[in-house]
Amino acid sequence: MAVIQATKISKTFYNPSESRAVKTLDDVSFSADKDEFVVLLGPSGCGKSTFLNILAGLTSHDRDGGKVTVHGRTVLAPQPDLIAYMFQDSILYPWRTVIKNVELGLETRAMSRAERRERAFKYLDLVGLRAYADHYPRQISGGMAQRVALCRSLALETEIILMDEPFGALDEQTRATLGSELASICRELKRTVVFVTHSLAEAAFLGDRIAVFSAQPGRIKIDIKNNLPRPRVMGSPEFRNFVDELWLHLQDAKQQAGAAPDRQGSPLGAT
Amino acid sequence: MISPAAARAALIVALLAIWELSIYLSGASNILIARPSQIAVAAWNMIVGASSAPDFYLNIGLTIFELVVAYAVAVVIGLSIGTVVANWKVLGDALEPLLLALYALPKVILYPIIVLTAGAGLAGKAFFGVLVGIFVIIFNTSAGLRQIDPNYLRLSDSLGFGPRRRFFSVILPAAAPTVLAGLRLGFGYTLIGVLTAELLTVNSGLGRLIDWASFNFYTPDLFALIFLAIGLGILGNMAFSSLERRWVR
Ligand SMILES: Nc1ncnc2c1ncn2[C@@H]1O[C@H](COP(=O)(O)OP(=O)(O)OP(=O)(O)O)[C@@H](O)[C@H]1O
Ligand SMILES: [Mg+2]
Repeated sequence: MAVIQATKISKTFYNPSESRAVKTLDDVSFSADKDEFVVLLGPSGCGKSTFLNILAGLTSHDRDGGKVTVHGRTVLAPQPDLIAYMFQDSILYPWRTVIKNVELGLETRAMSRAERRERAFKYLDLVGLRAYADHYPRQISGGMAQRVALCRSLALETEIILMDEPFGALDEQTRATLGSELASICRELKRTVVFVTHSLAEAAFLGDRIAVFSAQPGRIKIDIKNNLPRPRVMGSPEFRNFVDELWLHLQDAKQQAGAAPDRQGSPLGAT
Repeated sequence: MISPAAARAALIVALLAIWELSIYLSGASNILIARPSQIAVAAWNMIVGASSAPDFYLNIGLTIFELVVAYAVAVVIGLSIGTVVANWKVLGDALEPLLLALYALPKVILYPIIVLTAGAGLAGKAFFGVLVGIFVIIFNTSAGLRQIDPNYLRLSDSLGFGPRRRFFSVILPAAAPTVLAGLRLGFGYTLIGVLTAELLTVNSGLGRLIDWASFNFYTPDLFALIFLAIGLGILGNMAFSSLERRWVR
């Protein structure tokens, strides 16, 4: 059963300085089932972020019959009770401590101060940051900040979490660590996740399903089920094979768009 | 380990001692320069009403009142203009060069005109204080609001914050450091403005007292009054420091 569904979504940006319209998304249809982890994979600039923002109700789409629904209800504005959004940057407010940042989204809810605190600690425990609850963002590392942002999204306890390259700004090693933490958290907590990345390894490691975008205009070129058994092992032969398969689809997507493939050779080198 | 406060106190005491001794030993004229001990005595006499200073408390009170009025006006109008300029881009871009030109202008040149229109009393002096103090408040308010990281607002939008919560939970704390720095500098400038006006118009206030001391060659009293003016600035600065410690992270 689809929890979140987008049908025939198009998005045209008008560039006022050139008075030119650019079609960024063209007729994209997509759905995610309950507790499914779907990855949106595609070359830079193909409209993944735009699409995710439309799913979140943060950006409008063209009024040509397309629509986004959550549980059958149309999304027109942010739905903080249904959808949590995690950005590429951690976006922690520097004037709040770690725990107050985690509590931020709960402050609009009818919860007591103690309930908020308890909820925030629950998720800080999950990522092992309880000891840093009273630190300020400038006192923690980038990887820790991204964990705090993850806590802030999880603490909302929404059914759906949208993530836009949440680990994109981190080094490879931290990224892999956080990826496996996220995988185990999702197995435990059961959330529906739509996760944007352009890392093939991240897509293969995390996704139950991978939607590959092509660029200009952005379309979903192919939707692949990821049958690798969990827990997944990054260097295993099956894993490498699957990454290779994704790599080919991505190359196709680029060629279709008329752009030259930007790199040949090992797909893992391009993650 | 010596604490900074202790080191500072020791430094001040040492300077005062050197000052005291060098004047005492050189036998410089009391009319040209006063010793710290004489200044302390003169200050004490003024405070207990034992000096011939005319209406000491009334005049000091008047200056403080001018300062408070001028600063309050500068803050209210400065914050308002800064906010409007930050949110209304066309107006902001149109006004910015004008405001910068006014800011760079040595305001003291306008004082005769102000005396003509607002008079040499409280209104004129407070007005001059506002004129000197307001620009830095305008600039910092507008800069503080404009340079808020747009991501802060994207996040609060995604969390469904309404306009009230958006203002109090995001915009205000995000702009606070820059705005508070503007308010602090604005206080210093307003004080300079008011004191300048006082010295140019010696009919009342601290200006009247300083005129009295210098006219009569009461050098220790003159020094005491100058230290009093410095004290006003330090007091204001301390108030802002404590505010910033509480509000700004
Ligand atoms: N607000 C906007 N106004 C005009 N054009 C925009 C706007 N936002 C995005 N675009 C255009 O839409 C296209 C897709 O942008 P988007 O950020 O969705 O790409 P992306 O797939 O997320 O890329 P990346 O992987 O680099 O993050 C880009 O070509 C961009 O120029
Ligand atoms: Mg993007």
